[in-house]
Amino acid sequence: MFIAAVFTLILLTNLLVAFAFGYLGAQTGMTFAESVATIPIDSWVTISLGVIGVVIAASAFRYLSIRAGGRAIAEALGGSLIRQSTQDPQQRQLLNIVEEMAIASGAPVPPVYLINEPSINAFAAGFGLDDAVIGINQGTLDLLDRHELQGVVAHEFSHILNGDTSINLRLIAILYGILFLGIIGYGLARAGTFSRKNGLPLLAVGIGLVVIGYGGSFFGNLIKAAVSRQREYLADASAVQYTRDPSGIADALKKIGGHTSGSTMTSAAAEEASHMFFGAAAKKFSGNFMATHPPLEQRIAAIEPNWDGRFLTAGQQPAHPTSAPPTGGSVQSFAGTTTGTSDPTHHHLSSTVLPAGIIAQVGTLNEDGIAVARQLIAEQSSGLAAAAHDPFEARALVYAMLIDAEESIAQQQLALIVSDAEAGVSEHVTRLRPLVSQADHLHLLTLLEMAIPALKELSYEQYKRFTNNTARLITTDAQVEVFEWVLHRLLTKELYPHFEGATSTHGRVSKVSKLADDAATLLSVLAHHGQPDPQAQQRAFSAGAEALGLNLQHQAQNGFDYQHINAALAQLRKLKPLVKPGLLKACVATVMADGKVSSDEGALLQGIAATLDCPLPPSIYYADAN
Amino acid sequence: MEIIIALVVLAVLAFWVISIYNQLVALKNRFENAFAQIEVQLKRRYDLIPNLVETAKGYMSHERETLEAVISARNQAMSGLQAAAADPTNANAIQDLASAEGILGSAMGRLNVVMEAYPDLKANQNMMQLTEELTTTENKVAFARQAYNDQVTEYNVYRQSFPPVVFANTFGHGTDAELLEFADSAEIQAAPSVSFN
Repeated sequence: MFIAAVFTLILLTNLLVAFAFGYLGAQTGMTFAESVATIPIDSWVTISLGVIGVVIAASAFRYLSIRAGGRAIAEALGGSLIRQSTQDPQQRQLLNIVEEMAIASGAPVPPVYLINEPSINAFAAGFGLDDAVIGINQGTLDLLDRHELQGVVAHEFSHILNGDTSINLRLIAILYGILFLGIIGYGLARAGTFSRKNGLPLLAVGIGLVVIGYGGSFFGNLIKAAVSRQREYLADASAVQYTRDPSGIADALKKIGGHTSGSTMTSAAAEEASHMFFGAAAKKFSGNFMATHPPLEQRIAAIEPNWDGRFLTAGQQPAHPTSAPPTGGSVQSFAGTTTGTSDPTHHHLSSTVLPAGIIAQVGTLNEDGIAVARQLIAEQSSGLAAAAHDPFEARALVYAMLIDAEESIAQQQLALIVSDAEAGVSEHVTRLRPLVSQADHLHLLTLLEMAIPALKELSYEQYKRFTNNTARLITTDAQVEVFEWVLHRLLTKELYPHFEGATSTHGRVSKVSKLADDAATLLSVLAHHGQPDPQAQQRAFSAGAEALGLNLQHQAQNGFDYQHINAALAQLRKLKPLVKPGLLKACVATVMADGKVSSDEGALLQGIAATLDCPLPPSIYYADAN
Repeated sequence: MEIIIALVVLAVLAFWVISIYNQLVALKNRFENAFAQIEVQLKRRYDLIPNLVETAKGYMSHERETLEAVISARNQAMSGLQAAAADPTNANAIQDLASAEGILGSAMGRLNVVMEAYPDLKANQNMMQLTEELTTTENKVAFARQAYNDQVTEYNVYRQSFPPVVFANTFGHGTDAELLEFADSAEIQAAPSVSFN
């Protein structure tokens, strides 16, 4: 599509130059055809190359400027980061909602930006899960209540999970390239009006380029708008699916209809990113085929077929009962017996749950997942949860998770913290240690996900010091255990794009069979840490190999070799996205060969899924045994 | 022909300059945002201080001057914080905040010295909790200040480097941002050790 557009542009530009020369020629008495013929062939080539060069350069420039990922868009729109340690009740509520959603889907918790506009709107941006951000208008916070806010956040989350944000960022870059031609034309036209000698041709060429450039971007915007409209319907539907509550997002849309400024944004940068917003950001194009969003009435009707056509003004109570957050009662039945999670080291998966069913949940959300997320968050001790939300204490929390059980090593690690971390950190580590040792790995990894946004608030130097310290804490005992490895993997994966620039890896390998050895390594490691004896390990491994449909060599493991699994994963990351579910399914099959998920297996699965960019919802550990 | 080449060269130069402008704006926004983290911690500190003074009043009825000095220094610092939070790019506001914090720090230091003479007060549960929270908040203030100063330094370094330095003035980024330096309040907080031997 992009190539066709550029080709058309080249054609039009060449025609334009032909006309310009033809016109000049006519003035000196030559016919049109003769004057065109006087133009040497290589001029056409040069013009074409020039057009290609300019468009590509402009696109590349725009792409580079948004390489910082979602954060760049949020900052361009004038958003200010909502601090994790904020005491503002409105903002706290919003952060809690975003946190629930993220944990429910297994995705990293995105930072949230606040835009100072009174209208009701929101956006999501980012190349992938790790650099994704969510932005919310002040008006949204002021005018919507909790379940409506939840609907809006769910809508934005679906954009992130469905990959819309990545498409949108690239669209911005590409359209900018085409538009730039028009900008150059404008410059030329202005030069033409000032120059005496070559004034008229320059002006003509300039105006011509303006027409081409703006015309090209007009059609580009049409395409952008059409695509965006369909994705908006999808996002609305996904939001309903995630929350199992159509009233939330329907009421939010109704309130936009009832509000004077609706969802319009006054920021100039909003126009360029208009397709990324929840509601139409610019009034002028909101009604026709240029619209980036479907008409408000149609969106509401799609969710609530028997809508009476009336909008809500802020403060009005919707006619139906609002759904409060589920109480413990509904969560209890979900987790099985009333004694709660019986075995702290093993989570029991129902034997009737197939790996395929679990994999189908990757990249999605559902109401059960949100209930599980709420339970996981509620089960955290308040001291740990509070620590996760403060950048200062979040580091101490991570250090505390890395303190070894064996006392002599622990003393060495604590000494390292005292000498190399900032003042006051070691006291927090000592305070958090007993709380951390009481929690199981699943809760600790959830806690880590909760702590990531606070860690993203560190400055670059503080981040470097933090990663340096964590690496040294891990290597104090000259061994890397499974939990330490997973912790390090998650930290690197989610913090690196934020501090060092987002990179998008394009999968190129189309079949797992091409990476058979690496897959075998992965399954062997999983089998080793889930089963006690070699026979059971072999069985588990075979279950995984069978799921892949490949003949793999079992590699008996001696302890945990993190470099080996890192190398395997580095290769497996290159798989094409559609092939990855198959691999993950095999991993789950290996883990479930004995019907139980040990804490090492669970941690390994999370680390592997995160490395492969497949968010694995924690609800798989709580599958209903009924 | 030459026009085309000139065009492409011009385009690349234009991008270069535009990206410099965008980077200046982005870095400035970032350090402005980083100030919010300091604000959160300082506010918490200022909220703790009146509690501290109230608890102390019950025991130190003759030390009115010291206590009043703390309260007025705290109020001064609060207004300094509000002014700075409204516009972190204003160098004067930042300097005012720094000096107000300095005055508060020394007032708190004097209070600590005076408190040494009241062992009952020091043993009071409430007082112990408050001083503990204050110390934690001190550390967090220092940490947030460090993050803010890192961001400010990044902006200043970029602004002063070549080629941005050529364009900085015309783009409205003519002056360096101000670093936030407090006198080392942690040291002032620690009660001096008095030994009679």
